[in-house]
Amino acid sequence: MTFTGETFVGLLPELISTVFIVVVLMVGVFVEKSPDLTASLAALGALAVFVSAAVLLATGFSGEFFGGGFVVDNFALFFKMIVAGSAFFAVVTAARWSGRTGDLPEYMTLILSVVLGATLLVSVRDLFGVFLAIELATIPSYALVAFDRTRRESAEGGMKYLLTGVIASSVLLYGMVLIYGVSGSAALADIAETFTGQLTPVAILGLVMLLSGFAFKLSAAPFHFWTPDAYQGAPTSAAAFLSVAPKAATFAVLLRILLEGMPEAAPTWTPVMAFLAIVTMFVGNLFALRQRNVRRMLAYSSVAHSGYILAAFAALQGQGVATAVEAVLIYSAAYAVMNTGAFLMIELVGEDSKSFNGLFRTRPALALCMGIFMAALVGIPPFSGFFGKAWVLLAGAQSGSIVVYAVLGALVINSVLSVPYYFGIIRNMFFEEPTKDAISEPRDTGAVKASVYVLAAATTLFALVVGPLSALTRASGLL
Amino acid sequence: MPPQLQQGVDFLNAEIPLEFYLVVGAIMFAIGAWGALIRRNAVVVFMCVELMINAVNLSLVAFSDYLPQANGEGTSYAILVIAIAAAEIAVGLAIVLAVFRSRRTVNVDEINTMKG
Repeated sequence: MTFTGETFVGLLPELISTVFIVVVLMVGVFVEKSPDLTASLAALGALAVFVSAAVLLATGFSGEFFGGGFVVDNFALFFKMIVAGSAFFAVVTAARWSGRTGDLPEYMTLILSVVLGATLLVSVRDLFGVFLAIELATIPSYALVAFDRTRRESAEGGMKYLLTGVIASSVLLYGMVLIYGVSGSAALADIAETFTGQLTPVAILGLVMLLSGFAFKLSAAPFHFWTPDAYQGAPTSAAAFLSVAPKAATFAVLLRILLEGMPEAAPTWTPVMAFLAIVTMFVGNLFALRQRNVRRMLAYSSVAHSGYILAAFAALQGQGVATAVEAVLIYSAAYAVMNTGAFLMIELVGEDSKSFNGLFRTRPALALCMGIFMAALVGIPPFSGFFGKAWVLLAGAQSGSIVVYAVLGALVINSVLSVPYYFGIIRNMFFEEPTKDAISEPRDTGAVKASVYVLAAATTLFALVVGPLSALTRASGLL
Repeated sequence: MPPQLQQGVDFLNAEIPLEFYLVVGAIMFAIGAWGALIRRNAVVVFMCVELMINAVNLSLVAFSDYLPQANGEGTSYAILVIAIAAAEIAVGLAIVLAVFRSRRTVNVDEINTMKG
């Protein structure tokens, strides 16, 4: 194991986020009245991580470091870009909110810590490295959820997230230890040699516990119950960030574990994934239908979207593997732009669905953006969500398995089920009378508005990047 | 030495099989999980989670000591896990404290303003 210049280049996104964590924290400690400075520094840090990952991706950089335990390939770099990009929008939004309470540096440090954990997570190739990175991404997110001291729900949401999260972490860890015990190594390549043929009961127990732990982190039903409380309690910027970045990274690492660590055991884990996908889609959508609070509605919608991505995991068999990997990648990107945008709208308008009433008359541009996000979340072409769902359907069709066809059926049914609550918002915006208090606009929202416009444009023009994305996956090195 | 006593000494001198550690670990994990699910005090839930993590650590160290192909790597992973558990609890207690300040209770059943 040697350090070379290449190691440092490969670790560039992680190194940059580490440096910015320290700098932001120190500036917060030593510089008086530092909110603006720390906010700009954190935004710069997130942008730098994004650019470094993009540059590495553009130059076709790839390599394995630390004895094969850390890998940089197109797949990992792409997810690092998603993480850093959503962190950037979270930071920009939080600058306005947290500047008032005066603990902005801590908030920014926590966001950058999640970025570090999530960027590491997509690159590790060792079970204990995965655990370390997952915890590095999760522990700061407990604090992020509980950060808003002005609202009682925040600490409550944080505590519910935390108590269930630590239990899930220990279940995940037990699964990893059992797999380590069965295969005698935590490296994914060695695990792949053990997970062949007939699995021993201990190996199956380990796999089930590992998948349950992951299901919790991905808010897949029946382990989703923390999601609505955590996202309702969290500050809006944190909810937008946590519903996208750590989740995308966790999907990426789960894909890596399953494809690199246990490809021969696919007949064992694809039915589990199919089951999780169906239950998650139905639970997410049926509960979202009942919500009056937009934040909570979006939380359940994020559960449902986890289910759609899990459907791609169920399709990781037969001829569908390559397309399923593409589907996970494209869906994660599509979800990142549309969901971040939808959450940021709450910051501008309000979390009660009534506050969206008549938005088209008072603020037409914003109403149009929200309309785009909602249409994208339903999956209407040409917006981003459509391509995610299309690729999942394509992968499932190629997999040639009856179980997966059932999952696809559930996906179509659920897309229809999800129409009422997304379009309820659109109806409120375009056809209801404005309520009186909805007209007063919150101050200092310039940056948030700009973010929403950018994300709406990205959601609309997503079709342009689908082709390159798909080509990128073909060469991602994961297959 | 009488033969019965000799038998006892031999039994104590023999190496403890791997399964013993794993069974103890599994029992500890189950007790911890049970406690985490039924106890209502948030701090006690943390104690139970700590029990679960230490049970996992016991299995981890036993595996790495007994399996020849594991090369004893598990011990260093165990140190890592202990550090992570400490970090979890540090953040956890801070959040519990924040809840206690606003509500004067850490009973998880009474902390339920959000529903549905």
